[in-house]
Amino acid sequence: MTRAALVRFEWAAARRGRIVPLFAAGFALAAVGVALAGLSAGGVVTVQGFARTSVSLLQLTLWTVPMLGLLLGAVQGAECQELEFLAALPAPRARLVFGRWAAWTLALTTALLVGFGAAGVVIGALAGAADVLRYLGLIGIATLLLAAGLALGLWIGVAARSRARAVGVAVAVWFVLVIGADLVAIALLAVLPAHDATWSLTALLVANPVDGARALGLGLFGADVVAGPTGAALRRLLGGQGALLLTASLVAWIVVPLRLAGRRFARQDL
Amino acid sequence: MTAHSVGIELVGVAKNFGGRAALAPLTLTVAPGEVVALVGPNGAGKSTTLRILAGVIHASAGAARVAGWDVAAEPLRARLHLGYLPQRLGVPLATVVGDLARLVAAARGLPADAGAQALADAGLGDRLDATLAQMSGGQRQRVLLALATLGPVQALILDEPSISLDTAGAEDVREAIRAARRRGAAVLFASHHLNDVAQLADRIAVMVDGRVVACGTVPELAHAAGVAWIERATEPLIERVYRALVRGAPLRVVREGAA
Repeated sequence: MTRAALVRFEWAAARRGRIVPLFAAGFALAAVGVALAGLSAGGVVTVQGFARTSVSLLQLTLWTVPMLGLLLGAVQGAECQELEFLAALPAPRARLVFGRWAAWTLALTTALLVGFGAAGVVIGALAGAADVLRYLGLIGIATLLLAAGLALGLWIGVAARSRARAVGVAVAVWFVLVIGADLVAIALLAVLPAHDATWSLTALLVANPVDGARALGLGLFGADVVAGPTGAALRRLLGGQGALLLTASLVAWIVVPLRLAGRRFARQDL
Repeated sequence: MTAHSVGIELVGVAKNFGGRAALAPLTLTVAPGEVVALVGPNGAGKSTTLRILAGVIHASAGAARVAGWDVAAEPLRARLHLGYLPQRLGVPLATVVGDLARLVAAARGLPADAGAQALADAGLGDRLDATLAQMSGGQRQRVLLALATLGPVQALILDEPSISLDTAGAEDVREAIRAARRRGAAVLFASHHLNDVAQLADRIAVMVDGRVVACGTVPELAHAAGVAWIERATEPLIERVYRALVRGAPLRVVREGAA
């Protein structure tokens, strides 16, 4: 009862702000822009189909969605320190964290669906509905990545306790996930023998939600051979089971940070 | 002890922040229907005491109980019987009053409209769609006070409840404390408004540097502080008692129940 009430309470706050319409418009503009930009280089402006648009959007998604999730999560987590009145209500403190995560995941998923959905209508009308399921797959991957970023950001925010510190740590974590992990992968490839590198790179893929989402996304288009060193290692080690492992790892990237954030918030002084 | 024999109980409660002792072992009880005020200078440990009882911070040692329930071991049961008004707002400013009322009602297992009804009773029925940011400081305080006392609250804890309130708002707070006392709730509040304290409190605990240096009724404290009771005083007795106690006048701590 309290869990549902807390989610409703946080959802009401999340949807009332400007963030949802702002990001919905941003996602829509990005998707339509990518669909138009790909074929305009030859001098003729036309609309790409869902498959090409999705592949082009994937990289944009991998950069912006984790940043969005981490930053918003960090701010929301740091704000939990200020909820003294709510923390004194007869509800487990961890539920305050869960309620925030659920409400913001819902709000940003709505923005994602509205934005990419509006762009999808334009693409479908002008370029046909072929490969629309892959486009939906991309939205699914973006949603998982968003939920994981929010969970991780909340944990950072709850642990950091101040908004400025939380945002700083979130940016550093984003840099490590988006760029640092790939640098580590390249270094591993250079120094390890082939067999050891396969295991290490697969572990790195599972240990990094951004790389996991990238490999999963490229797998949607049978393009995981170009998923970089970690994607190639995963393909060699697990074959077709890789997608399941990657999806499970993304779910774990939601559940584990969320539980850690809840536990930390329950134990700390406000 | 049954769950209801003592409203609020602190036994040897201490709190350290890092290496600094913010609260020396403190023992204090508030009976059902009794109002006790915590007074003292800033940093004396008043808010720390109240926040431990509310479960917002954790005691380093000792036991704090609300309606007989240990706030550390049985936090949900303790908080079910507790109304807490923090010194800081404690809720995001963007919160819509009606949403907050529904949440508090749900958390206390009450019908969804119980919070709205409590706000209507407090004269705030027309502000359900407003955000806290759209209200004055006094109105926010009245909203939180109405919701803090929602349901079968057996212990009410208020941290500087009259702060930022105008005369009417301060009277609302006083009336809420009186109403809680009439309902049989134990009330513990911290305040710098000594006249409020003298009017409302059955007993006053004076805190300095994390310790209760004296506790009793106003005449008991006056006796302990060596301040004479003068009928036509130039300043209220409580003001003189406070100054004497806080500035380190020779003290005899009045024990509970002592004349």
